[in-house]
Amino acid sequence: MLWKSFNQGIIKENPVLRLMIGLCPTLAVSNSATNALGMSVAVAFVLICSNWVVALIRKITPDEIRIPIFIIVISTFVTISDYVMQAYYPDLYAQLGVFVPLIVVNCIILGRAEAFAYRNPALNSVLDGVGMSLGFALALVSIGVVREILGAGSLFGVQLFPPAAAATIMVLPPGAFITIACLMAALNKYENKVQ
Amino acid sequence: MAKIFKMGSILAVFCVLAAGSLAYVYMLTQPRINANAGLALEQARKEVLPGGQGQAIPVTVTGYHGPISMMVGIDNGGKVSGVKIISQKETAGLGADIVKPKFLKQFIGKDAKSKLEVKQDIDAITGASISSRAVCQGVKDALEKFQPGNN
Repeated sequence: MLWKSFNQGIIKENPVLRLMIGLCPTLAVSNSATNALGMSVAVAFVLICSNWVVALIRKITPDEIRIPIFIIVISTFVTISDYVMQAYYPDLYAQLGVFVPLIVVNCIILGRAEAFAYRNPALNSVLDGVGMSLGFALALVSIGVVREILGAGSLFGVQLFPPAAAATIMVLPPGAFITIACLMAALNKYENKVQ
Repeated sequence: MAKIFKMGSILAVFCVLAAGSLAYVYMLTQPRINANAGLALEQARKEVLPGGQGQAIPVTVTGYHGPISMMVGIDNGGKVSGVKIISQKETAGLGADIVKPKFLKQFIGKDAKSKLEVKQDIDAITGASISSRAVCQGVKDALEKFQPGNN
């Protein structure tokens, strides 16, 4: 049960490629591998913390007002991570600062609070958060790597070939849709084969 | 009726707890955040005036996603000696590339007589002409504010 809580988010119920939630930030920040990794780390912090707190308070949370309470918990963690990053990691904040407020609208976090943490004990919920974060990171970084190589000719900011030879469309919004569609198709094909 | 009050007060308790913890974190982090901002400004002043001579002029312009705050160094001859972006919220991967030296070093050596227009004497960043134009405007504003002989 504990292993399943952790494991299912990575491939089987991958939030981006399987459940298809959190697509908005996925499309927006996957234009380079560095951005994708930064967003994944920030999402992991908020998702694990909010899953934990939601699971702890689930018995004293009335059903009717659970959604506003989830939102309060999530936005509190987002703001805390924003302040802490600004104060102690200003260099990192200069890179990722723009993504941090975006996490509030990442529906993976609200989705996991509602679908998992509200119905399961704290430990399972934390593990679900870790697994889902890994799944999100896996999808986001793969998309970011493909888009950065094809669109800018670089990987994690290191130039691989001259940018003139790259297809700029891949770092623009259409490139996100093309890449994510190809990844989903590949994963579907793989799953069909396994079955 | 009673239910509404019960729900309302539970929600209020959660809000108070959240606000309280945020106020606490804010109190702990704000002095450091301000100190970091001051340091960044001081650092930017030094960077845009490599010779140590001239004026560093802070300007703020409107980019694609809100304000872009930048520091423009102008030497005693009225030429731009350096430009540094202090804060910006442009699109990551596109407009946010205005912070890169490759784009910013184009401004070095420009003066009040330069056109400072995208596609003329400045190469815009691909997919980010609005952000690029905003930086041009910022440099123009700084050149206007510059007063020769006033260190």
